[in-house]
Amino acid sequence: MQPDSPSRPPAPPSQPPQGAARIAGEADLVARTLAGDRAAFGLLVERYAPQARRVARAVLGDPDESDDAAQDGFLSALVKLGQYDARRPFGPWLMRIVANAATDRRRRRQVRKAEPLDPGLVGGGPRPDADAVRSELGERLRAALAELPARRRTAVVLFDVEGYSHGEIAEMLGIPEGTVRSEVFHARRRLRALLADWKGA
Amino acid sequence: MNDEKTFDHRPDPELGAVLRRALDPPRGDQAAFLARVMARYDGALAAATVPTWEVLAAWSRRGLALAAAAAVLVGFLVGRALQRPEPETFDAAMAPTSGPGVTALVTATDPPDASVVFASLVEQR
Repeated sequence: MQPDSPSRPPAPPSQPPQGAARIAGEADLVARTLAGDRAAFGLLVERYAPQARRVARAVLGDPDESDDAAQDGFLSALVKLGQYDARRPFGPWLMRIVANAATDRRRRRQVRKAEPLDPGLVGGGPRPDADAVRSELGERLRAALAELPARRRTAVVLFDVEGYSHGEIAEMLGIPEGTVRSEVFHARRRLRALLADWKGA
Repeated sequence: MNDEKTFDHRPDPELGAVLRRALDPPRGDQAAFLARVMARYDGALAAATVPTWEVLAAWSRRGLALAAAAAVLVGFLVGRALQRPEPETFDAAMAPTSGPGVTALVTATDPPDASVVFASLVEQR
């Protein structure tokens, strides 16, 4: 991840620290976790939980299932931590695992049943957020996201919400960078149209 | 917000912000999520650790298969060796089947006729 990349958005408040300091800090946390320091792993989870839960929700829709997938991702990362290259940023590595965990759950769900629109995304789920229920725009956005193919909405969330570069997203999703650009473009077109309607109303 | 027809390489902060609000987990349950992940910390590590006896068992299965294959190969080679006829002695091999044979040709004072040498060699085979 290039800290000064033009595609990097300004860091939102909950975002992990940027640049070399972040990589060094995370490498230290990873080393401590590998040495058996449970608290160090807790810090990594705390730092990345909001991001991981959003990414899982972008893939799955349902908030509860998304949290299960995010948890699977963290625990899978814990087991595979020895494979992490400490010279590289931790976020893309972790998000790849989380996205894979969410995609696996989605596949299993599709095997179990023909999949309707995700109830959590369209706002009619068993436990929608209190904030989301109050926000009509939020509901509309989730409905619009639910209509997008899973890979498209994951790509736009990773790019516009989480601030990863096209190259990083390509690595996470295992698709060419050009495909990521295309997916982000098409997702944005749909979501921007929705926002424009919302503003005009 | 950017023109939807242009391909913008930069993240869209406005779209990002509304998507973030739509996808953010409920406020206040971050601690609960952290607790549920950490509750499975030991279990995840234990499940990932393969017991030594399982490693040995896996290797023993492989070793047994290799030993069985080696036994079959050795049996085949030994059986084949037992079925092969005893090799002839040197003298028997050199004895002429008919006529003077190779020994007569080698010990003769006059050089042999090439056709005779060739014929005797062919006969030996």
